[in-house]
Amino acid sequence: MQTDSLIERLVNELKPVRLRTVWTDAIALIALGVVELGLFLALGMVRPDMPAAMHLPSFWWKLISLGLIALVSGTVAIMSLDPVRLPRRGLRWIVTLIAACLAVGWMLDASRDGFSALLTRLDWPNGLECLYTMVALSMPAVIGLGLLMRRGAPTDRSGTALAAGLAAAAWGAFVFVFECPFDDPFFVAVWYSLSCGAVTLFTRITLPRLTRW
Amino acid sequence: MWLRRYYTGRLPPVAIDDAIQEALIAVHKKRHTYDPSRPFGAWLAAIARYKWIDAARSLGAKPTEVLSDDIAVPDHEEAIVSARSLDQLLTTLKPAQSQVIRLVKLQGLSIEEASKATGQSAALVKVNIHRGLKRLTSLLRSVSDAD
Repeated sequence: MQTDSLIERLVNELKPVRLRTVWTDAIALIALGVVELGLFLALGMVRPDMPAAMHLPSFWWKLISLGLIALVSGTVAIMSLDPVRLPRRGLRWIVTLIAACLAVGWMLDASRDGFSALLTRLDWPNGLECLYTMVALSMPAVIGLGLLMRRGAPTDRSGTALAAGLAAAAWGAFVFVFECPFDDPFFVAVWYSLSCGAVTLFTRITLPRLTRW
Repeated sequence: MWLRRYYTGRLPPVAIDDAIQEALIAVHKKRHTYDPSRPFGAWLAAIARYKWIDAARSLGAKPTEVLSDDIAVPDHEEAIVSARSLDQLLTTLKPAQSQVIRLVKLQGLSIEEASKATGQSAALVKVNIHRGLKRLTSLLRSVSDAD
C-alpha cells in the first residue's frame, strides 16, 4: 500500500479518543488494589494474632517494605506507559529499594538468636503455602497492569514489564501480610523473595509478548 | 517527510517504506497517549525510535541465504568481445547494409520480414546482405594480412 493512501485511510478512520493520563491509570490501579484488599479482609483472612503482631518490628518491616516496593514499582510502570518515558532509571531505584529492605530485614534478624536453625526456620510446608497464596494474590495486579500496558505505549516493553511484575508481586505480598502469621525475617526474606521473583519473572516473560504494538 | 528522513540511513532502503507505515499506524493507534501540553516532536520521535528498533530486530531475525556457486554464470568474455567487434565492423558498412545484416543474420528475421521492417524490396535486402558480408570479409582479410 502506498503511504499516501494509508494516511488517507487513517485520516478517514480518525475518531475522538479519551486521553490517557498517569492519574487515570493510577486511579484504576488503586481502585483494583482497594477492591482486592477489601475482599481479602472481608473474607476474614486477617491473622488471628493481629493486635500482638502489630507490636513486632518484623511485621511493620514486611508491611512497609512491600508497600513501598509496590508503590514505587507501580509508579515506574505507569510512568513508562508514556512513549517518551523509559523505565530504566526507575528500575534502578526499585533495585536499590529492595536491597535496602532486605538489609533492614537482616539487621532485625541479626538481633535474634543466631543462624543455627536456619532450615527449621524455613518451615517448608508453610513456606510453600505462603508462596502459592502470594502468587494468586498478585494475579489481579498482573492482569490490571497488563491491560494498562496494552492501552499505553511503552517504548521499552521489557523494562515496563519488569516494573509491572515487581509492582504486582509486591502488591500480592503486601495483601498477604495481613494474613501471614510468620514474622521471622529469614522466613519472610526467603519465601516472599521466591514468590515475588516467580511473579516478576512470569510477568517479565509474558507481558512484552502480549503488549506488542 | 520527517519520518522518511529519520529512517534514511538507519534502515536499508527496502525497509524504509514499511517502517514509515508502521510508525504512522502506531501514531494513529496510540494517539490517546499524546499529551497536547507537551511537544509533539518528542512524542513522535519516541514512537519512530521504537518502530526503528522493531524493524531492525525483524531484519536481523530474517534468515539470510548464502548464494550457491551454481548461480554464477560461465565466463562469457569471448562472446562480449565478439559482439563488440562485430558491432564496430558493422559501423564501417553503409547503413542499409548493416541494418539488414543485423535483422536477418543476427536477429533471425526472414527476408520478407526484413523487407517490411526496412522498406527495402526483398531483392534489395538480399543484395545488401550479400554486398555487406563481402565487404566485411575483405575487411577481415586485410586486417589478418596486416597482422
